Parts: sequence; C-alpha cells; structure tokens
Amino acid sequence: MPHVTPIMLGQVIVSGLLAGALYAMVALGLGLIFGVMRVLNVAHGPLLMLGAYVTYWLFSTVGLNPYLSLLVSMPLVFLIGVALQHVFVRRVVDAPELSSLLLTFGISIALVNLAQLAFTSDLRSVEFLTGSFLVGPFAFSKSRVIACLFAAGITALAFLFLQKTRLGKAIRAVSQSREVAQVCGINVQRIHLFAFGLASALAAAGGTLVAVMVAIQPEMGAVYTFKSFLVIVLGGAGNYPGALLGGLLLGLVEQLASLFLTTQVNEAVAYVLLVLVLLLRPTGLLGGRST
Amino acid sequence: MIKRNLGATALLAAAAVLALAWPTAAQAPIKVGASISLTGTYAKPGTYQKEGYELCAQEVNDKGGVLGRKVEFVFYDDQSMPPTGVRLYEKLITEDKVDVVMGPYSSAISEAVANVTEKYKKVMVAPLAATTSIFKKGRKYAFMVISPAEVYLEGLVDLAAKRGLKTIAIVNEDTLFPKTAAVGTAELAKKKGLQIVLQEAYPKGNTDFSALLTKIKAANPDVIAASTYFDDAVALTRQMKELNLNPKMYGVTVGGDIPEFYDLLKQNAEYIYGATQWEPTLPYPGQKEFMAAYTSKFKHEPSYHAAAGYAGCQIYLEAVKRAATLDADKVRDQLLKLEMRTILGDYKVDADGFQTAHKMVLFQWQDGKKVTVWPDDMAAGAKVRFPTPPWNQR
Repeated sequence: MPHVTPIMLGQVIVSGLLAGALYAMVALGLGLIFGVMRVLNVAHGPLLMLGAYVTYWLFSTVGLNPYLSLLVSMPLVFLIGVALQHVFVRRVVDAPELSSLLLTFGISIALVNLAQLAFTSDLRSVEFLTGSFLVGPFAFSKSRVIACLFAAGITALAFLFLQKTRLGKAIRAVSQSREVAQVCGINVQRIHLFAFGLASALAAAGGTLVAVMVAIQPEMGAVYTFKSFLVIVLGGAGNYPGALLGGLLLGLVEQLASLFLTTQVNEAVAYVLLVLVLLLRPTGLLGGRST
Repeated sequence: MIKRNLGATALLAAAAVLALAWPTAAQAPIKVGASISLTGTYAKPGTYQKEGYELCAQEVNDKGGVLGRKVEFVFYDDQSMPPTGVRLYEKLITEDKVDVVMGPYSSAISEAVANVTEKYKKVMVAPLAATTSIFKKGRKYAFMVISPAEVYLEGLVDLAAKRGLKTIAIVNEDTLFPKTAAVGTAELAKKKGLQIVLQEAYPKGNTDFSALLTKIKAANPDVIAASTYFDDAVALTRQMKELNLNPKMYGVTVGGDIPEFYDLLKQNAEYIYGATQWEPTLPYPGQKEFMAAYTSKFKHEPSYHAAAGYAGCQIYLEAVKRAATLDADKVRDQLLKLEMRTILGDYKVDADGFQTAHKMVLFQWQDGKKVTVWPDDMAAGAKVRFPTPPWNQR
C-alpha cells in the first residue's frame, strides 16, 4: 500500500464526490423507469451517449457552449425516450422482466450502431474547459466541478418535481401502486411515457456533461448502464433519494479503492460492495420498494 | 471386375473434372482472410491497418497480381475482442475457405487467433503484434514484423538517463501488449539507473484516472512512461492537466503517434513523447510513393499501423513469390530466410519468426508535428524540447 498523505486523501475524496454526483443523476433516471414500470432499461447508457453526441455535434458545427447544449440535448432525448416508450417499451411493461431486458438490450445495440454509422467509431472530444482550479495543494478539474454542479442542480430539480408537482406526485403514485393510481384517475400510460422521457433526459444531461470531461465514442454508454444498476441496487431500487446516496458512495468507493489498492481492482471493490449490500440489506441501503 | 472398372471410371471422371477445373482455379483471385478491429477500443489503429492491407493489394493487383492471380482481402470486424477474432478466423478458414490469412490488430487478438492459424497450418504474418511471447511458444507459422513491445519506450528511458533524470513512474493498461511494454520499460529503466517510484496497471476501458494520477503526483517522478493504447492515452493526458501533474518528460507507447491524438488534444499534446514503429519522414525506400498513393486513396495521412499493414502484406507476398506457391511450409521457409527493407524498415526474423532487424523511433510533438528525437541517426539533428514546462506555461 502506498503512503497516503492527507492531501492525497482529500484530493481523491473530492474526485470521488465529483464523479458520484454525476452517477447519481444518471442512475436516478434508471431508477425512475424501474420504479414506475419495473423495466430494467439497458439502453440507458446509450441514451446518455446520444446526449453526448448532441453536445459534440452542436459544439463542432456551430460552436455552441456545451453547457448551453443541455437545453437541446435534454428535450431532444426526452422526445426520443417518449418515442421509444410509445413504440416499444409499453408492450413489455406487464411482461416478465426478461422480455424488457431483451427489448431494451436490442434498443441499446441499435442505438450504438446508429451512432457508429452517423459518427463512426472515432473518438471525439469537446475541447472546452481543460485544466483545473488550483486551490492550495489541490487541483480540481474545471469540467468535473462544473459537471458536478450541474448534476447536483438537475438532480435537485428532479426531486423537487417529484415531490411538489402534480405530475411528480402522480409518477410516485404509479410507482407505489399502479392499480390504486389508476383508480384515482391517473392516466398510467401517460405517466409511463413521461417517466421514460424524463429518465432519458437525465441520461442525456449526463452525456452532455461527460462529453466535456472525456473523449466520447459510440460504445461509451454501456459502462454507465452498469454503474447505474450498481447505484440503484446500492441505494434501494425504486427509492429515489437512495440513488443519490448510492451514486456518491459508488464514486467514493471507486476512487478510494484506486488510491489504497490499485486502479485495476476498483470495479471489483464496487461489485463486492454490491454483493455485501445484497446479502446484508437486500432492499438497498435506504430500503427499496418491496415487490 | 465390374467393381474395379467402376473405380477406374470414377477416377478418370474425377481426373477429367479436375483437369477442366484447374485452369479456372489458377486464375481465381487469392483470397486473403483477416479479422480487423473496426469498432471497439482498437477501431482507430485497426482501420489504418486495414487500409494498409487494401493499398498493398491494390498495388500488387495493378502489377498483375501474384503467381498470376489477383489478391483479394476478405475482412470481418472483430470488435476489438480476442474471442470474436478466434471465431472469425475459424469461419474464414473453414467456411469461407480463404487461401491464406494475414494477422489482425493488436497483440491480444493475434495471440488468440494464432492458435487457430497454427491448428489449420496457415502462415500468419502478424504485422501489428508486438509481444515477444506470441512468437516464443514454439509456433511454426506466426511471423513478426514490428519491434517487440519491450523496447517501445527505450528512447524515452535513454533520453531521460542522458539528461540526468532520476525517477520514473510507469503505468499500463492491463492487457497483453501494454503489460509487456511496461515490464520492458521497467527493465530498461533499471539498467539505466532510473528509480521506479510507482508502477501500476489499470483495466481496459478505464476512463477515470484521478486516483492513480494523484498517487503519481505524490510520488513526484521526473518521467512518466505510459504504456497505452489510444483512448487511455488521450484520457490520461487530459487528466494529467486537470490534476496539474508536471513531469519533466511524459511519453506514451501507442496512440500518441496517431494524427487524431493531436486533433483531440490540440496544444495539450505539445511536448509529449511517443514511440513509433515508423514515421513517414524516415529515409526508407518507397516511402514517398507510399505516402502519395495512400493519401490520394484514403484522403488522410497514414499512421504506422497503416505502414505496418502495408509492409506486412508486401513481406508475405514476397515470400509467396519466392516460394512460387501458396503452400504453407514452403512460404514459411522463405519467410525464415527473407531479408527485406520495406517502407517500414528492415525485416528479418530468427528461427521462431521473432523480429530481429526492425528499429523503434521516439518522437516528440512540436508545434503540431511529430519530430523524431531518437535514435540519434534517425533524428537528423532535431532538438528535444526539454524539460516539459508546467501545463499553465504551454
């Protein structure tokens, strides 16, 4: 084990929280779809990738500020999400979970291949904010700090929306019990459409923010699908604040594992954590919705 | 009696069919099978290699082909995955019945598919496999073209030692080639008296290097040697800047030499050292013609992967010409004897098919150009920009 100074530890904890906020926002989308429809959306990562390419495309063609492109990527991918739900996903909502897995897996392959056709598999980057804020002995990547702020803001807005608005309450009602919600006069089909769109928009926001941080390519999404699964299981599937906790925890665990052990094992450590949580608290750290 | 007659008739008939079929078969193109990484993490270099193969085939065909037959490549995409490569070579050889094969991209995939080509006794010239062990396992039909992974960063280590630098950190992707290159770099560093303050691997597909780089920053090495492919070379460089990590020299094995490395990183690529098997400016025969033909055909400049693909294909076809047959054992004999200077440099292998004549070069990105800085006889008086200034002064 290397000698770890407090400065290294501080630097790594901050890096972990910066990454974690982003994971939390993206995973919230996945958790939303699962909570409302019991559908595991494997295409969540590829939707994030679409968001990233929208940003890249707007940046490289008209030079649009990548953070402003959130205003394009989120609504656009929202609509794509609604269309996917309307055409495909609604057909498997009541089917066994394997059907929805297979369907969204198919959608994910299709999206990745479309992106390869449209953009080729070359790496692309948005060279916008490289470099860092230097604070004393610490260096904070500009793009990651800003991504964290946006992610925190968007996640907070999403929570406010779920807690305070009529539509948000309806979404939560459907996720608690579809039958009762229906009896109360909530149009469940419309809620499903909206929830899938909102989840896709959250993924797209993640894509936009990621595009400024790292170089992007069509297959970039898969890793975010896995991380999001991890996050919602850690936090408790269907428990929305749980996604926030799970995201931050995953970010921290990955970074601390890299620091104290090696970068090679950070994913292993994250998944061991997952197994432990499943063994000791199968409903997630904050308790998920019982099935 | 009747039976014997029947047998004889059948034999005659078969001979007649063969005799009829022979002339047409002789003129059918030579089908060359290869799997190439067209998607996935090796997509970029894989595509260059494919283009090298294509240009080689086109030029050979323009001159009338080999053994009186045209050369025709059959490509499949292995998605940068060794198991897919294995499946594709099985398919190429058993279903598509290609006449001969050429190697795929990367050491990892070449290592995996070499088992298939050995099994079917197919000669495989592997132009982009740089790992020694592939050719030191008693395989009979695998041939190496480029320099081995171990010596990739010899130039970086040598320059660092000559400039009096003392410490080095070595990181690598945890796959066959980068691992081998890292081990080789570590040995060279020890030999030159550099102290290794950190050596660590990271998994393929890793995008967040902050913790690793934080550790390196704390160890404060003079030199960072990164044994990379392309995606990770870009990510490492960006995150080094983000963490304000300022070594006096920073070099990468693969990826740094691709023009897109500079396109993606722009001025942040300045001062970075890269190892390459080949540069268009090196004084090898046929270089100018190759550059002209390649850029006019593909509308972009080649990387060394393209040159190696091109040269590997030429080396193989030269051996076929000398053997005057596609028979694997006879072509193998010629490949073992062959000494050839291509646009890539020298080719000569030992009895195991291991490359012994080819030489690596080290370049540095200077004002958007790759300037060869090592070895001295290739550098042509170019100056190393040393030491690398801190990020905020570039």
